[in-house]
Amino acid sequence: MRKQKTTTIYLGPQHPGITGNMMVKLEVDGDTIVKAETHIGYLHRGFEKLMERRNWLQSFTIVCRICVPEPDPNEENYARGVEEIEGREVPEKARWIRMLVLELARIQAYLLWYGGQSASVGLYTIGQWSIGDRNYVLDLFEELTGGRVYHMYIWPGGVRRDLPKGFKDRVYKVMDYIEKRLDDYDRLLFDNAIFQKRAQGVGYIPPEKAIEWGVVGPPLRATGTKSDVRIDEPYEFYDQVEFVVPDFYKTSDVWARALVRRFEIRQAINIVRQVLDKMPEKGPVWNKIPNPHKWRIPRGDAYVKTESARGEFGYYVVSDGSQFPRRVHVRGPAYVHGITLLEKILVGQNISDVSMIMNSLGTCPPEMER
Amino acid sequence: MSWFNIKGITNPLTALGQVAKKPHTIRFPYEEKPAAERYRGLHYNDIDYCIGCGNCAEICMNKAIDMVPVEGIEPKKGDSGLRPRIDNGRCCWCGLCVDVCPTGSLSLTREYIFVSPNPEDFLWMPGISNPDGKDKRSWRSNDLNFSINTYEREKMPMLDPKERVKSFAEVVLGYEEDQARREAQRCLSCGLCTEACPEHMHIPEYINAIAWGADDDSLRIIYDNNPLPETCGKVCTRRCEEVCALAKRGEPVAIRWLKRYATERALNADEIKEIVNPPIAPKNGKTVGVIGAGPAGLTVGYYLALRGFDVEIYERNSRAGGMTMYGIPKYRLPLESLDKQIEYMKKVGVKFHFNTEVGKDISFDEIYQKYDAVFIGVGLQDAWKLGIEGEDADGVWSAIHFLRRVNEGERIDVGNRVVVVGGGNTAIDASRVSRRLGAEVIMLYRRRKQDMPADWEEIEDAEAEGVQIWTQGIPVKVITDEQGKVKALRYVKAEMVPDPRGGRPRPVPIEGSETDIECTTVIAAIGQSADYSFLPEKYHDKVKMNRGRIIVNEWGQTDDPKIFAGGDAVNRVADAISAIADGYRAVKGIVRLLLGEEALKQK
Amino acid sequence: MADLQKENLLLEVLKNHFNDKIFDLKVQRHQRVHLRTTTEQIEAVLLYLKEKLGYKHLSHISCVDWIEENRFELVYILWHPEDKINVLVKVDVDRLNPVAPNIDYIWPQANTYEREMREMFGIQFPGLVGRKELILEDWDDLPPMRRDFDTLQYVMENFEFRSGREDAQNVRETIAKRTGEEIPEFAKKYSR
Repeated sequence: MRKQKTTTIYLGPQHPGITGNMMVKLEVDGDTIVKAETHIGYLHRGFEKLMERRNWLQSFTIVCRICVPEPDPNEENYARGVEEIEGREVPEKARWIRMLVLELARIQAYLLWYGGQSASVGLYTIGQWSIGDRNYVLDLFEELTGGRVYHMYIWPGGVRRDLPKGFKDRVYKVMDYIEKRLDDYDRLLFDNAIFQKRAQGVGYIPPEKAIEWGVVGPPLRATGTKSDVRIDEPYEFYDQVEFVVPDFYKTSDVWARALVRRFEIRQAINIVRQVLDKMPEKGPVWNKIPNPHKWRIPRGDAYVKTESARGEFGYYVVSDGSQFPRRVHVRGPAYVHGITLLEKILVGQNISDVSMIMNSLGTCPPEMER
Repeated sequence: MSWFNIKGITNPLTALGQVAKKPHTIRFPYEEKPAAERYRGLHYNDIDYCIGCGNCAEICMNKAIDMVPVEGIEPKKGDSGLRPRIDNGRCCWCGLCVDVCPTGSLSLTREYIFVSPNPEDFLWMPGISNPDGKDKRSWRSNDLNFSINTYEREKMPMLDPKERVKSFAEVVLGYEEDQARREAQRCLSCGLCTEACPEHMHIPEYINAIAWGADDDSLRIIYDNNPLPETCGKVCTRRCEEVCALAKRGEPVAIRWLKRYATERALNADEIKEIVNPPIAPKNGKTVGVIGAGPAGLTVGYYLALRGFDVEIYERNSRAGGMTMYGIPKYRLPLESLDKQIEYMKKVGVKFHFNTEVGKDISFDEIYQKYDAVFIGVGLQDAWKLGIEGEDADGVWSAIHFLRRVNEGERIDVGNRVVVVGGGNTAIDASRVSRRLGAEVIMLYRRRKQDMPADWEEIEDAEAEGVQIWTQGIPVKVITDEQGKVKALRYVKAEMVPDPRGGRPRPVPIEGSETDIECTTVIAAIGQSADYSFLPEKYHDKVKMNRGRIIVNEWGQTDDPKIFAGGDAVNRVADAISAIADGYRAVKGIVRLLLGEEALKQK
Repeated sequence: MADLQKENLLLEVLKNHFNDKIFDLKVQRHQRVHLRTTTEQIEAVLLYLKEKLGYKHLSHISCVDWIEENRFELVYILWHPEDKINVLVKVDVDRLNPVAPNIDYIWPQANTYEREMREMFGIQFPGLVGRKELILEDWDDLPPMRRDFDTLQYVMENFEFRSGREDAQNVRETIAKRTGEEIPEFAKKYSR
């Protein structure tokens, strides 16, 4: 028998099929991957270190940058971590607004995912549509928070500004519009024979291993596990809204993960509507903090987590009693998905499926490399 | 799945249905879509409204903001003269600079496109580089609820007005520790206040020390250039608070009360000495004589003693403190508080000669000969007269003599109705003291209430205690009974006539509006003058006067190099902190005179 | 607030099993439990939690540098998918000789966390397989996440600042200079 020779291929760090600046070093035998290794370190950031030199308020402007497509869970986590250590109360309305922002963020993140996932199998139309429609959500963000991508809106003690006049109506309108558009996407993506053929049975994660391997979010739910931070450890008012966590897609492949997201974006729209209905009309939205330069948080630590569009987003916040954070350690879902998990499940896959699998896992280099 | 999926081919083709639809991304012809109402775009700064406190530069976590001087903007009290300049290459548009701006001058605009091939162009002076930004302001801090600064002051605990009038107990109770910390935290540490303070106390530093819980350090910083901080902490005219950055849109930081808090941590003179523990220079053999133990004289005494001088203070009265002792009522500045501070000075090495009036018990000549330098801090001892008929009647007082007698412990019978003429702090003091003596009190002031020079808080406190304030009334005659005692005060009503020269409106009597107020006592509080009779004729050409005030140079020195002067007799402000500032200036002058320029640099 | 029955029960079980090998047990709040152990015991504690009690999900491993106390604190954050409890297991590691046991045979993703800590804090995990470099490249300085690594100093030494901003003034100093105020040295630490 002839000795098999493998070829090494570097996918990234600049590659349209990769979800950001990272590189996957692949050993391929023909078209089949025999070994994969993730290389990160192309972003040069070090936010966690920066925060040690900035006070508790200044740090709040950094955290949103940890994840570009979905900054709000970071803001939420940071704010909630600080509030928990300090024991700061958050006004009721602010908590509803936070939920609204988080769900809108989930919707726009899923719309972005539609683009990425479909483009990874060569279907570009839907990506142009969904990312175009995502802009309507970003318009809402712009109106509410003053920023389209980095909102810097949820901060310790509440949110930065109240809802603008007539904002709720515009949210309803955008929700109705997107809901209608989702059917178009279905016809283009989920009915599409190409996507069905490509996605089914690819990128399999053994369900019995999923929890141990640190899989979270939609990939975990696609194994048939009912797991969602919003119901497991409800934060804000998630225990007061109704939504379904999908545990009925059990094939644990790219296809199932896509179906989970397809289902969840509709749930998110539903939650937004509930939030708008339940939100009090009036009331404070911020429990004012003291002068930021002299604002010290008592010594303590907190691990807080939020369900982002890609799964459990955790922050371990530690205060040493000074006006600067001792440590803010970010646990992004991609940190596990993109390195150890990706390296495992890529083995045996076809090289053309790599970017599809990465998209389905929600790999995001910015949160690996805080 | 079947081998041939017909739906999988046809359904995606429905996309073709979109062909005829209007695209939602690009409009043709081009339509401008304005940014949202709170968009965080490029900065705009209302240059005239900005006070250059630098709080924006401080909060900027990217160090994108510099404070730089700007042509055409003169530094003045309450304005550093600097304005923010933004390096747009570093800015992240978080908007924190807007949210911490105490004046609300800084904002972000809807404008967000700026292109230039030259990197230097990205250094911007908001408001100067983009004057048109004014109409495009979007992210602002108009609503104080969303500003990061706390605009409400920590409430000072006070005695109930009903309780106050019963005794001379101190009205203001002082902050509790947690209140002081919270109040100190409000401070933005910009330092604008230090310019307004005549003595340029290190205000941001001592407030910060309180905020960090270092009360001892705070006291040490305060004593660096104020030897009577507890007095100031209770009765200072606090011009610092007027220029506080927070005062633009809210209540200023309670600088006075925080100073008071810090000084009250030391319960007696020994504790002050222990905490402050100033280095005392070895004796240098030089001697200085000080006339008058008021704030100015005490300042000279304290700081010269620290520098190794032999200082002796001559005081006519039996106690030190000058006007703070005899002019300020005890419910504002208790005796124990003053004694504690004087006691501490004695411990540092200041010598006092009480009950020694210069010109009577000891001649000025003798002092002049005996010491290497002399400091005159005699203050204003005489009162201005009302200049109306019947003024010498029994029951007509000048406020300072009245207050002095009360402060000496005398219980003066003022009868049941007192009219106080004047609208300054002394008038308020006289009124509130009269209330405590059991009388009904009417304050009669020539102008309107908003023209009153007295402290606004003092006016409110007086009213709370039941002092009636009658405005636009000019006294014309004191009416007496057969025994020569005051029976009533006749006054005319006045109307305010705008000053053609642009000054403040003047009161002009309305003819035929004479009214009598029945009263038992009339107290005139319309101003004071100095008494220089102790100064022999031969010094008069060296110690020059102008309208009753001694003229000094920048070192507090008169034309006779050995004679220095300060306090109310020199400055036109007549408050404790100005007197202390004068004293401190004279300290430097005396050190310079006796030890030379070099010694001035060492501290 | 919800009752803490489950949390207290967990503490009870752990206490009975490990006795004095674990300490500082406390229920921080609903759904969150803290405990502390030693580097010798950490593997046993984690294995027990995972295999016997069902804490199957390793959320996170964090490291805090308590330089004043001369220790690194490793924090293992576990999650029970059914009981829905977070357990934070903390271990102190000597800062001068930072060695902690490798646990990537318990959870494969621990490998990444340990590589990160090796790189960022210089903690050694005997038996840890994996490329030395995770995020950094050709780094031979002090491990950068240590508290004594001064970011500002590093920036000053390695990067240039743009020109044109040298005229920036400090508001406090400007005013002090104008008024002739002499701020004493000991007070300056309280200036902003």
